[in-house]
Amino acid sequence: MGDEPLVRWHWIGTHLGYLRDLLLDHAVISLLPVLFGLLMALPLGLLCVRFPRLYQPLAAVFNVIYALPALAVFVVLIPYTGLATQATVMTPLTCYALAVLLPTTVDGLRSVPEPVRQAATALGYGPWRRLAAVELPTAVPYLVAGLRVAAVSSISLASVGALVGRGGLGYLFMDGFQRTFPTPIVAGIVLVTALALVTDAVLLLARRLLAPWARRESVVGR
Amino acid sequence: MGAAGIGGGTVNLYSWLSQFFGDPDRRHGPDSIVHRVGEHLLFSGEALGWALLLAVPLGLLLGYTGKAAGLVTALSGAARALPTLGLVTLAVLLAGVGDTAVLVPLVALAAPVLLVAACEGVRSTDPDLRDAARGIGLTHRQVLWQVCIPWALPALLAGLRTAAVQVIATATVASYVGLGGLGSYVVGGLATRDFAQTIGGALLVVLLAVATQLLFALLIRYALPAGLRRARD
Amino acid sequence: MIRFDGAAKRHPDGTLAVEGLDLTVPAGRTTVLVGPSGCGKTTILRMVNRMVEPTAGRVLLDGTDVAQLDAAKLRRGIGYVIQQAGLFPHRRVIDNVATVPYLLGWDRKRARTRASELLELVGLPPETARRYPFQLSGGQQQRVGVARALAADPPLLLMDEPFSAVDPVVRSGLQDELLRLQAELNKTVLFVTHDIEEAVRLGDQIVVLREHGRIAQVADPATLLAAPADEQVAAFLGRDRGLRGLALRPAEGIVLLAANTPLDGWTLAVDQEGRPTGWQRSAETIRQVAVFRPGLDTLRTALDSAVLSPARVAVAVDHAGRVIGLAPRAAVLDALDAAGPDTAAGITATGVADGR
Repeated sequence: MGDEPLVRWHWIGTHLGYLRDLLLDHAVISLLPVLFGLLMALPLGLLCVRFPRLYQPLAAVFNVIYALPALAVFVVLIPYTGLATQATVMTPLTCYALAVLLPTTVDGLRSVPEPVRQAATALGYGPWRRLAAVELPTAVPYLVAGLRVAAVSSISLASVGALVGRGGLGYLFMDGFQRTFPTPIVAGIVLVTALALVTDAVLLLARRLLAPWARRESVVGR
Repeated sequence: MGAAGIGGGTVNLYSWLSQFFGDPDRRHGPDSIVHRVGEHLLFSGEALGWALLLAVPLGLLLGYTGKAAGLVTALSGAARALPTLGLVTLAVLLAGVGDTAVLVPLVALAAPVLLVAACEGVRSTDPDLRDAARGIGLTHRQVLWQVCIPWALPALLAGLRTAAVQVIATATVASYVGLGGLGSYVVGGLATRDFAQTIGGALLVVLLAVATQLLFALLIRYALPAGLRRARD
Repeated sequence: MIRFDGAAKRHPDGTLAVEGLDLTVPAGRTTVLVGPSGCGKTTILRMVNRMVEPTAGRVLLDGTDVAQLDAAKLRRGIGYVIQQAGLFPHRRVIDNVATVPYLLGWDRKRARTRASELLELVGLPPETARRYPFQLSGGQQQRVGVARALAADPPLLLMDEPFSAVDPVVRSGLQDELLRLQAELNKTVLFVTHDIEEAVRLGDQIVVLREHGRIAQVADPATLLAAPADEQVAAFLGRDRGLRGLALRPAEGIVLLAANTPLDGWTLAVDQEGRPTGWQRSAETIRQVAVFRPGLDTLRTALDSAVLSPARVAVAVDHAGRVIGLAPRAAVLDALDAAGPDTAAGITATGVADGR
């Protein structure tokens, strides 16, 4: 690498617009899948709680999906969704998000203490109404905890998409590597991490607004 | 190579796979499946070993003292945000192609998972149990070894499973900088537009990750002391 | 009025929870189901609001088989209070209380106004309304649970060991509160407990149950204590039931001596208002004086006063605490004999039942 410095500030200064575009693309391809995952996890989770037999097989399937290597999945999808398309990167990321969010949704819906559930029934809630009015709000802290995990790993994984031609900031890593030029790599790492941390902070804030009644900072993992 | 193009309408997965697995290069020599799986497992295992060595003792200690637990969670959250591909490429540019270049990012991936698992595992020990152990005269060291660590074992194993699966899956990326392993098929295939090779390699990584997942599921089911298994139900 | 008509519950695994139960729960009174754990009392309670469906027989609510009613609608018309309160953690206290009015489609303002009234009724300060359940003590949570059950003014209240999870002092306060509420509201209350003291204190009618929901005895508290149906019920009632029965009978008809009567050398000192200040005999002084209020307190308090006094007399005071007379121990016991004929019969029956 010779005398090349870790960061050339001049390069960053002249590429601000470029970095911004990559950042926006990265946010879209990594966070939209989390949103899609959430939109799928909610109805699926409700179904799993209402019909518990569904959950075991579904959980097993998503457990396996979560273990699939992102790069391998991107590649396998190329013949179906095309090289360098958003679909190739976003489809697996949606599956990963769903794999994280389904168990947290179900855990959250099930976290309602038995006396509370019974009280709700005794006060005259039907099963579906109770799910919407009691179980779903109680699940919010769990959902946010799941969203934090899903969003952060999605943001990190999306950069691998660069290897199949659509990776947002991940492109900086390939570019820097091919030109033996560390500045874009460092910029990429910093921006990816920053995006993840900002997203995380936004989700924490959302939790505080949506569930002020939840006592502890971390509900999951206790 | 029949269906060479990408997105060329009909796709014959089966013919690609049979082409990949039928190639004599897959049976012998440096590009054989056995050799590549060996490489893959070797640096995955090496990375896990380092991560265990670095993270677990620290996690157990922090978990037992209960200090900085919030910090551990926050830091590991931030570490999860680090893009592996970025770390790999940067490590190669800084340290050259070699063990360090592949180990640093993979350890950075596995260590936070194990740190949190160890810390939270110990921290979640039933406080009454710890009290009782202290009460009958165990020293702190004995409480940690005889009470908290056995208690944390299921959480630790679960953490180890997550870390192992992630490392094996992510190690694919390391091949991008020429470090061998199963990713070589994927990356090499992509570069030469040899889709049979890419897809075959991807499938092998998937199989390896799923096998690891299953192995740990069995380990967790049968290797835990019976009392602990029941206590978790 | 609730009528159990051969109501039985057999679990899917074949075990019998409740064998055919025949029981009438009168309207406007408190009926307490009491029995050891596992006797099926909670199952019986939950048959009423269809949280448990009987596998045989019927439960009639004012003559209608509850099985014919829509379960959710039925439940909105029945108050339900359970041991752990079961408050919704994500709703403020006021919205917890307003749950059923909301379900019944009341507008928000009216439901909240009603909820505030109820918080006041159960003795919670107005600032509680904006809190979340986790910010309340166990006793406060239980009060909110009671308020929530009463919100839509249901004629029937089901209470499943509602006060078992709070400490004895708070429990006693909550029991007083329930007695006060019940005197005011006259709901039909079906109350489950394993605590016989609580049953005696709260019940107008007590149903003692054995395993599989078999009825051992149905009686009012005084009769139950005086005349248990058999050895098993007597054992369940525990020791001192004769003395505890005194707590159910008013201290009436006790013949009093003049307050200044000297007794065994002891005299009762009083202040200018006429309130007792202590017992005196030559140089000795005892400052504590146990008193009872004829007509307001029970015979148990009167006897207690007599037992504690060095002069062997109970001190009777009026509502302002002024001494109105003294009652020797014998006079207190005479009042016991003088009480109604059915109690006397009860005492006789006790002797027979105990084999004495």
